[in-house]
Amino acid sequence: MTNDLVVHLARFGGALRARGVDVGVGDEMDAARALALVGLADREEVRRALRIAFKIRIRDWSAFDELFDRVWSASPRTDIARHRAAAMRTSGGGAPLNVSRAVEERETETRSMRGKDSVIGYSPDAVLRRKPFDECSDADLAAMERLLARMARTLATCRSRRLVPSRRRGVVDLRRSLRRAIDTGGELVSLAYRARATETPRLVVLCDTSGSMDRHARFLLAFVVALRRIARNTEVFVFNTSLTRVTPAIASGRIARTLQRLASGVPDWSAGTKIGESLSEFVSRHLDRFVTHKSIVIVVSDGLDRGDTTLVADAMRAIRSRARRVIWLNPLAGDPRYEPTARAMAAARPFIDRLLPAHDLASLEQVLPNLS
Amino acid sequence: MTPEIQSVYDGLERHGYIADPSIATAVFLSREMKKPLLVEGDAGGGKTELAKVLARLVDTELIRLQCYEGLDVNTAVYEWNYPRQILRARLAEHEGRSASEVEDLIFSRSYLLERPLLRAITRRESPAVLLIDEIDRADEGFEAFLLEVLSDFQVTIPELGTIHAEHVPYVVLTSNRSREIGDALRRRCLYLYIEHPTLEKEVRIIRAKVPGASERLASEVGRFLQALRKRHLAKTPGVAETIDWAQALVRLHHDRLDRDVVVETLGCILKDQQDVEAVGRSDIDALVASAETGGTRA
Repeated sequence: MTNDLVVHLARFGGALRARGVDVGVGDEMDAARALALVGLADREEVRRALRIAFKIRIRDWSAFDELFDRVWSASPRTDIARHRAAAMRTSGGGAPLNVSRAVEERETETRSMRGKDSVIGYSPDAVLRRKPFDECSDADLAAMERLLARMARTLATCRSRRLVPSRRRGVVDLRRSLRRAIDTGGELVSLAYRARATETPRLVVLCDTSGSMDRHARFLLAFVVALRRIARNTEVFVFNTSLTRVTPAIASGRIARTLQRLASGVPDWSAGTKIGESLSEFVSRHLDRFVTHKSIVIVVSDGLDRGDTTLVADAMRAIRSRARRVIWLNPLAGDPRYEPTARAMAAARPFIDRLLPAHDLASLEQVLPNLS
Repeated sequence: MTPEIQSVYDGLERHGYIADPSIATAVFLSREMKKPLLVEGDAGGGKTELAKVLARLVDTELIRLQCYEGLDVNTAVYEWNYPRQILRARLAEHEGRSASEVEDLIFSRSYLLERPLLRAITRRESPAVLLIDEIDRADEGFEAFLLEVLSDFQVTIPELGTIHAEHVPYVVLTSNRSREIGDALRRRCLYLYIEHPTLEKEVRIIRAKVPGASERLASEVGRFLQALRKRHLAKTPGVAETIDWAQALVRLHHDRLDRDVVVETLGCILKDQQDVEAVGRSDIDALVASAETGGTRA
């Protein structure tokens, strides 16, 4: 193989990375080996071989094809200058969010999250629990943090099918039992056991932060932040007119500070909402990576949206088919007269396992048993 | 196509697997570069079948490891033969052997039960085809373990030491993408995504797999499926469903599609009640029409 080709390949790899397609040096080496084995004159054969050797996932195929078409002509040698220009163009695309910088801000405040008493419901907490979010002041938020943290700790864990050594529970572990038996001349005096491992649930939260949700969003996000302290795998996305992954921004620290950081890092916070577009974006960009058959997906939204409802239905169907459970938290559902008739809500309804109210702390408490 | 890739393509077809250039290229590269092949794609797309046919093509044994949640080393790699070990330990006790002698005795190769992974690397005759099916169902922990086996092709058994591969097997891993396969494992492999077939390929598959199907039936079924896959379905039918359906139609002596036939046999291709409802009666008429007229309307 010529050196030119290797250089060209490395640049192609760089262009892929610049577009957010995850390829490493090892993949480039595989690609080089593959190109030595196929016919370089056949452009489509080169394309197929590179797709296989670079291990391009299907969600990245369009980006791959576009870059391939742009930089990989039939004779790669003449093409390097054009390719360089292409790489420059692609690396500028997509303004990065400033949330990542926000994460680096130091949290100096001490944590006040470790309340000792574990029973919820004493006054004045009882009042706070029933206080609708849209009547809460900023001062209430601090008190609520404490309650939320305590609530989240009751979050049950679920059992895995994987077996781990255990003391007196589960099935007999013959291998370990036999090791012990050697010391007693092959007599199984005491048995060793294995039992199913426990796992905290995997949560994926999609929270609506549009205008109609503004009064609720900060409290619901506070709930999510509290959950995340227990279920560390929790992934959080917020959406209004577009979708933003905010998991990196939710570092440990005071909830109010985190929310502030979120608000400054997300475009169009408390603007209008496009539920269908946002959910579709989640499906096409994040579903494969973040949702498995063990995941519980929680959508937090009032479902008030004038957009295309078929988008909502398609996206919810896709999510439903992949996740273990889909829960929709709706602040409006606290009203006993509430019917899920908002158009987006009605479109999503067939794909929701539980539609639950989320207008005060007491209602959030009812959410917890559904999360394991 | 490069002649070597063409010959893989033809070889697969000879053994009843209608490939496409991507599939042939992937199999060829995986063999030449001695790297495992990770195959993803929707259910019923022929991922598992590819490994089976590959074993016939290179004329070797197919060793299959079916993954599931909770799959552990005991099932995947090896297990000790506990009843025999216990008996031997009791016997050794009567012979008055020391504990360490007993240990050496019962943790030896003859008390070892080989499971698929160990079997694949200890096969003497020639490299086997190792099919690790539905890897996405196993735990992530198992995936990490697999990584180790697939990079060095050796297995370490604490009581025995390290067992090296006699031959490096051809490895095919399949995934239905119920969860994303970790980057580390994907990097260790070559990667093939099998798409739904084109009309031309699908008709050839039907002709190859359902010999009783006429040219006309095969092309109508093919066009119907092509049009159906453009609908929003919870479970888009794959090639496996196409073959089932064509077989059913042949058994029922239908030589062409019409509305009644389709309604009667729709269960072969749509396996989700919501989908059956979504593809209503009027839609079936449109689909049948597009199957007849040559698929210009879909």
